[in-house]
Amino acid sequence: MVKTGKPDVAPDAPSHVPGIRTGHEPGAYERMPGHLPDGRSTAARSTGINARARDPIDPSMPNLSPP
Amino acid sequence: MATRERIEPEAGRLVDMSWDPITRIVGNLGIYTKIDFRQRQVATCKSTSSLFRGYSVFMKGKDPRDSHFITSRICGICGDNHAVCSMYAQNMAYGVKTPPLGEWIVNLGEAAEYIFDHTIFQDNLVFVDFCEQMVQSTNPSVMEKAERAEAPGAATHGYRTIADIMRSYNPFTGETYREALVISRISREMICLMEGRHVHPSTIYPGGVGTVATPQLFTDYLMRLLRCLDFIKKAVAMNEDVFDFFYEALPGYEEVGRRRILLGCWGAWNNPDYVDYDYRHMQQWGDEMFVTPGIIVDGELITTNLVEINLGIRILLGSSYYDDWTNEEMFVERDPLGNPVDRRHPWNQTTLPRPQRRDLEGGNYSWVMSPRWYDRRTGDHLALDTGGGALARLWATALADKVHTPYVNATGSSVRISLPATPNSAATELEWRIPQWSNAIERDRARVYFIAYSAAMALHFVEKGLEEVRSGVTKVFEDFEVPDEAIGCGFHEAVRGVLSHHLVIRDKKIANYHPYPPTPWNGSPTDSFGTPGPYEDAVAGQPIFEENGPDDFRGIDIMRAVRSFDPCLPCGVHMYLGGGKTLKQLHSPMLGAHSGG
Repeated sequence: MVKTGKPDVAPDAPSHVPGIRTGHEPGAYERMPGHLPDGRSTAARSTGINARARDPIDPSMPNLSPP
Repeated sequence: MATRERIEPEAGRLVDMSWDPITRIVGNLGIYTKIDFRQRQVATCKSTSSLFRGYSVFMKGKDPRDSHFITSRICGICGDNHAVCSMYAQNMAYGVKTPPLGEWIVNLGEAAEYIFDHTIFQDNLVFVDFCEQMVQSTNPSVMEKAERAEAPGAATHGYRTIADIMRSYNPFTGETYREALVISRISREMICLMEGRHVHPSTIYPGGVGTVATPQLFTDYLMRLLRCLDFIKKAVAMNEDVFDFFYEALPGYEEVGRRRILLGCWGAWNNPDYVDYDYRHMQQWGDEMFVTPGIIVDGELITTNLVEINLGIRILLGSSYYDDWTNEEMFVERDPLGNPVDRRHPWNQTTLPRPQRRDLEGGNYSWVMSPRWYDRRTGDHLALDTGGGALARLWATALADKVHTPYVNATGSSVRISLPATPNSAATELEWRIPQWSNAIERDRARVYFIAYSAAMALHFVEKGLEEVRSGVTKVFEDFEVPDEAIGCGFHEAVRGVLSHHLVIRDKKIANYHPYPPTPWNGSPTDSFGTPGPYEDAVAGQPIFEENGPDDFRGIDIMRAVRSFDPCLPCGVHMYLGGGKTLKQLHSPMLGAHSGG
């Protein structure tokens, strides 16, 4: 028989633990790189390496960074 | 609510017949009937379920942010409908609005779900009841007529006679059966593009979606959609031919599965230009949905107001294995508009299971409760059905005359659907007209039209989504905080009909959660007022057209009636004939093996 330890949590414990940062908490959008306040985004959304060079050459073009 | 007089048979003329289980959905569905073979009529019918799920019990105390992931598991075919409905309810509770692009992505995922689910159900499950092998074994004379009947839509679908269409429905071997499987795969790919996964989406959250919107995403979707459209145009023509033929070949067939017109639709696809998920404005944004919510009584649209629809919901007992909750806590006394909320409303329901022996003779016989809608005008608790989903959606949308988009237009008495030219077919104009009856054939016919409706709406959603992307607006989610105390409700359409989720949050945890999918509405047992549920009501009193006698009776007309409500996936059917003789018949999808086909 396989010996197992005492479980740390009950099976129905909530999956979100208070105090741990969550992706949806207020301010999360602003903190994420590449997401602009008006709903648009820049290449920094996709990459941290030389992101500005990957923005469109014409500023009037939509900035459609890859996933 | 029974619309037909109960037949008074002479003693000993009734034969007990039961089909249990009929489906593999939320619980096993059993249909228990007494059939009068001399009068060729079903005398009585009881609809039972022998499986308890308990979502409302174990959701309590959980983090509300998990609820869309958990409730998605209610169903193995339309789980994404639950996830979306739960997301709607959470948005209301958290006071957050999905950005427009996120909303279009959700709508596209749900449109693909309707195309997928209705297609697989109609062509791979319902039409097994209408295929050549089945009709040959239940109504050989009808098959003879079908061989001689020219198909009016031959120019569109390519089958010369009705019998040719029926042959294409034969399981495993028929052309349409096989093509539908391919379409269901393609449409599932469409869902995966938008919602990450099928059937339990991974990228749908309260406040938005996790899908990254790129032009490629929408063109990948569109390419698949156009391929589906070729099939859909043919499918509508074939459905029309077969259903019209049945009315012609079997005069009186409109009585099969017919019941009083009592339809409910909770609306589908929010319009991001209007929806703010605020309960106080629910009537306004409900009216702007791309399928209009509505309640239809005897052909009259009595409301499209989601607030009124919400407040009228009553969960009754009467034949269900539960204790009443009248002495339990009231969670919501008044809604955010100040309207009183009834003690029997889902917000105030407490589920108290009481397992017991099934008693079909005047006792309790089902785990399903009896959801009803309280009609303030008359004081009646209406046993609404969903017409398999599609019938109620089209009916409410047609009468409400509120949906006007480039490809779909309501007219007040019909819904017009314009499908553009696609690689293998020309542009097509379709019109679904409000039928005379709410019966098995019309429920089935509406289904194929709603597939076309969904495909046409998806074209609109793709264009709107691309508009956002082309303007550079790529935001698909919004931040939110879980409040200490809140209530929320989501109204949506699962593929087979009305879907609501009611949520109460206390101390940031779920205090009460009640999902009400379509099957409790359609498959409910007789309630405390003595009103039978829709399956019972539709089957009781219906005539029998099958040519087989009691010894080799297959119950095809009863199966067609029950399946027309789309009780999810029909699987094995075990038949019991009174007098101790048990027949086991393999039904769809094993029909091919059974018939040697």
